Amino acid sequence: MKEVAELLNAMRDAGVISAYALFGAIAQMRYTEGVVTLDTDVLVSLPSSEGLDALKPIYEFCAARGYKPEGEAIRIGAWPVQFIPVFSPLTQEALEQAEIADFDGIPFRVVRADHLAVIALSVGRAKDNARILGLLESGSVTTDQVARTAQRHGLADAWVRFEKRFLHG
Amino acid sequence: MDDKVRKLLERQAEWQKSRAKLSWAEKVRMVEAVRESMAALRRSWRSSVSSRPETNNLDGRPSPDGEPHAP
Repeated sequence: MKEVAELLNAMRDAGVISAYALFGAIAQMRYTEGVVTLDTDVLVSLPSSEGLDALKPIYEFCAARGYKPEGEAIRIGAWPVQFIPVFSPLTQEALEQAEIADFDGIPFRVVRADHLAVIALSVGRAKDNARILGLLESGSVTTDQVARTAQRHGLADAWVRFEKRFLHG
Repeated sequence: MDDKVRKLLERQAEWQKSRAKLSWAEKVRMVEAVRESMAALRRSWRSSVSSRPETNNLDGRPSPDGEPHAP
């Protein structure tokens, strides 16, 4: 994972991407106990996202360093890494407000716990519901924080449903 | 519930919570180790089933990928 952190920082320093932040299961583990996952998800913003192949500069940057595509991801060390351009105001905010964590001495940008919870809420699969519960149980985020972030992004109703089903049921 | 069992479950819950207190890097390394074990297990499973003449699904039909699947 250290290799992933170094590559992402280098990619940003070279101007290939404007910013990045880890999200998904690997980001969740910063706040909760470990969860088994097959890949690493990275939110990215690109200097120019026009055109059909917005991720091409990322693939070229990786290929020049010997990292090869693997399905929808790029294999970096032990991890297939999926690059996902920000796709909504919620993910844009999550990227902008990401925190800089320390990963074995390497700065690594990670989405905040409330954004992780609300992104999970917006997706709504069983494992996303489990992610929200894990984040709440870890104490890294409160129900009020999730409610506020959900409200800002038009997910207030989804949050009320989640609370009824899993917290007040 | 038996008091012994309740205490065992409490200790187990505490142990599980303590894993969340590991550093982020340690948790990621733990997951990497689990993934490697799973991959090794899968490889050994594949090689053991490929040495058999035919692998059947759990309902007795031949399995197309050499691994048994529940019906």
